[in-house]
Amino acid sequence: MRPVIVRTVLFQALALAVFAVSAEAQQPAAATGCQTCHASQQSATLATPARDFAVTDVHRERGFSCVDCHGGDPAASDKAAAKAPSTGFRGKPTGALIIAVCSRCHSDAALMRKYAPKQRVDQAAEYATSVHGQQLAKGDTKVATCVSCHGAHGVRPVGDAQSPVYPLNVAATCTKCHADPERMKGYQRAGAPLPTDQRERYEKSVHHKAMVDRNDLSAPTCNDCHGNHGAAPPGVDAIANVCGTCHTVFATKFALSTHSLIFERGCVECHSNHDIAQPSDAMLGTGKEALCGTCHSEGDNGFKAAAAMRSGIDTLKASIGLSQEQIDGVENAGMDMADQALTLREAGNHLTRARTEMHAFDPKLVDAVVSEGMGLTAKVDAAAAAARNEVSYRRTGLAISLAFIVLVVVALQLKIRSLERSTSGSRL
Amino acid sequence: MTQQLLSWLDERLDLSALQHFVSEKSVPVHRHSVWYYMGGITLFLVGVQVFTGILLLLYYRPSAGEAYESVKFIVSQVEFGWLIRNVHSWSANLLIFMAFVHLFSTLFLRSYRKPRELTWVTGVLLLFVMMGFGFSGYLLPWNELAFFATKVGTGIAGAVPGIGHFLLRFLRGGDDVTGATLTRFYGIHVAVLPATMTAILGLHLLFIQRQGMSVPPSVERREKAGEKIPQIPFVPHYVLHDVMWWYVALAVLAALALFLPWELGKKADAFAAVPPGIRPEWYFLAMFQVLKLLPAHIVGLEGEMLGVLGFSLAALVLLVLPFLDRGAGEGRSSPLVTVAGVAALVYMVVFTIYGYLAA
Repeated sequence: MRPVIVRTVLFQALALAVFAVSAEAQQPAAATGCQTCHASQQSATLATPARDFAVTDVHRERGFSCVDCHGGDPAASDKAAAKAPSTGFRGKPTGALIIAVCSRCHSDAALMRKYAPKQRVDQAAEYATSVHGQQLAKGDTKVATCVSCHGAHGVRPVGDAQSPVYPLNVAATCTKCHADPERMKGYQRAGAPLPTDQRERYEKSVHHKAMVDRNDLSAPTCNDCHGNHGAAPPGVDAIANVCGTCHTVFATKFALSTHSLIFERGCVECHSNHDIAQPSDAMLGTGKEALCGTCHSEGDNGFKAAAAMRSGIDTLKASIGLSQEQIDGVENAGMDMADQALTLREAGNHLTRARTEMHAFDPKLVDAVVSEGMGLTAKVDAAAAAARNEVSYRRTGLAISLAFIVLVVVALQLKIRSLERSTSGSRL
Repeated sequence: MTQQLLSWLDERLDLSALQHFVSEKSVPVHRHSVWYYMGGITLFLVGVQVFTGILLLLYYRPSAGEAYESVKFIVSQVEFGWLIRNVHSWSANLLIFMAFVHLFSTLFLRSYRKPRELTWVTGVLLLFVMMGFGFSGYLLPWNELAFFATKVGTGIAGAVPGIGHFLLRFLRGGDDVTGATLTRFYGIHVAVLPATMTAILGLHLLFIQRQGMSVPPSVERREKAGEKIPQIPFVPHYVLHDVMWWYVALAVLAALALFLPWELGKKADAFAAVPPGIRPEWYFLAMFQVLKLLPAHIVGLEGEMLGVLGFSLAALVLLVLPFLDRGAGEGRSSPLVTVAGVAALVYMVVFTIYGYLAA
């Protein structure tokens, strides 16, 4: 064999051996010649990757090194020898090569089982279906690839709070590109330029509030609706399903309604998408703030249904408020109303159910739940009235007792005076 | 009939000596006489506590799983249970308040002076026992505030040098406040402390009856100068006065029980976050506030430990005060005691208010 071929075969065997050993051992990889040399470079472009990789990197911690992605000969002391074509050196992967390099391991189920058995291995396949993947296939290298979101060096696990794909950081990561008008110039959807205000709008939403203010990591961010590796805008027919992933009951009710056949954008028609506000009863009905009037007008069945549903919900809400006032009143007087408070909480659940039922847009369904709720508030009101009577009974009892006590005190005082008078002349 | 019964008893027990003692017993009358009744009101409230406590025992269940529910049952389902529980809670607080009034009046009138040193010592011991009643009883409803306040309170006991850890485990029945602490506090509240109190209270009352009422030094001086200090017979004059004051206390209790019912709060949950405003009962608040304000370390020693040591020393000084102020028994004035008493009173009032405002 020619010496070059022999050397190449030997190096590849060595690289495989190194890979196999590191993979089996799962020990952090020791600093290689690549890191030593790159870390000492003056140029930040050359030095930073090596330094980031050395500080924290999930791959390095599992025993992977530079050569696993970039190729090359880490044992060579000479730069030219280390990056010789015969070493398989591929430099900095770009575009589709990034997907290929990452998926070499991440799409290998047998290999991933050793490191992260629960992790999916279809990221590359999903990516190919995404808008990013499709654009890349067309030769658009501006689109996001694996490293755009996960980083290249210093890669952290998804569950690491400092990872760019940790739920709290996803919106910032996506909008690195999507909020940049210059970068998004030229991209269109349905014939219109892609907006760049999604993050601004998302930050006003109830979802962002839940995630950031309440630290509820289950609240949705970009990838929960758009997908992550297969990122794409939800199709018109998919919106209700996307929202229904979390809002299951609402989605079920909505599916029963005639609106589900009419609304082109499903839930978005009333609730918007990125800037989803806290829903309120004002959205329903025939008032100025109500959304029903957008399509319905006075006299039509939809208008009447909206008015009826809103009226039922308002009645139950007001009744709960009044019952609560009654409970507070008698509790202030010292009565125990814990059981009634529980009943009233159940009435509150009925109010929530009524608000849920209205997504079927059938007044009869709403009315049935409202009636049940009103039955509960009536029970609470009756108990509160009985408690008020008891308070009145107790106060009357106290008044009588106090009158008796005062009478005894006066009688004692009179007796003492009479005793003192009778003994005043003969005090000891 | 009554006469027949008395004769029957006299024949067997020779009641004539007791009858003679009662008929001869008198109480001096002067401008400070009103303070004599403070002890009587305190004694009446002790009686109220025993009576209402026994009634509560009929329904109370001393376990972490049932204590809160049983108190809830008492106030909501048991006929007049709300009244009994509210009176018990209010009376406990009034009792300690009256005990303090009694203590300070006795202190300022120098009633502890020879030959009544032991009456004072038993009285101070009774105050400590009553505070023990308050501390142990606070936990029994097993509500959130009491649970965490007991955690803090027993934690402070843990700061006592040397025996702190033992004391903490002894009080808690383990390393933490649990159901074991509740049953332990229950045992202390309904058995250990009542037995202790009965013994000490018996001695206290015996000493008072044996030695009669003390008169303030100013009155004593007038008496020595030959002035005749008016007296009233103990029975029925003084007893009727006492009973009249008891009725006033009863009226106050009834009104408080109805208009300011004692809250039950939420059930204790060891895994819940510590609720805001955790503080002990008002009579521990001044001490608690000082311990909170002390720095972590003072001249290399733990601040809390020094605070606990300081309060223990103050309690000891209070207990043996008659033996420290020997001059009072010999008719010499002791302004230092007056100054210390006023300072203690001002400290208690100011720091208790501060404790409430700071919480």
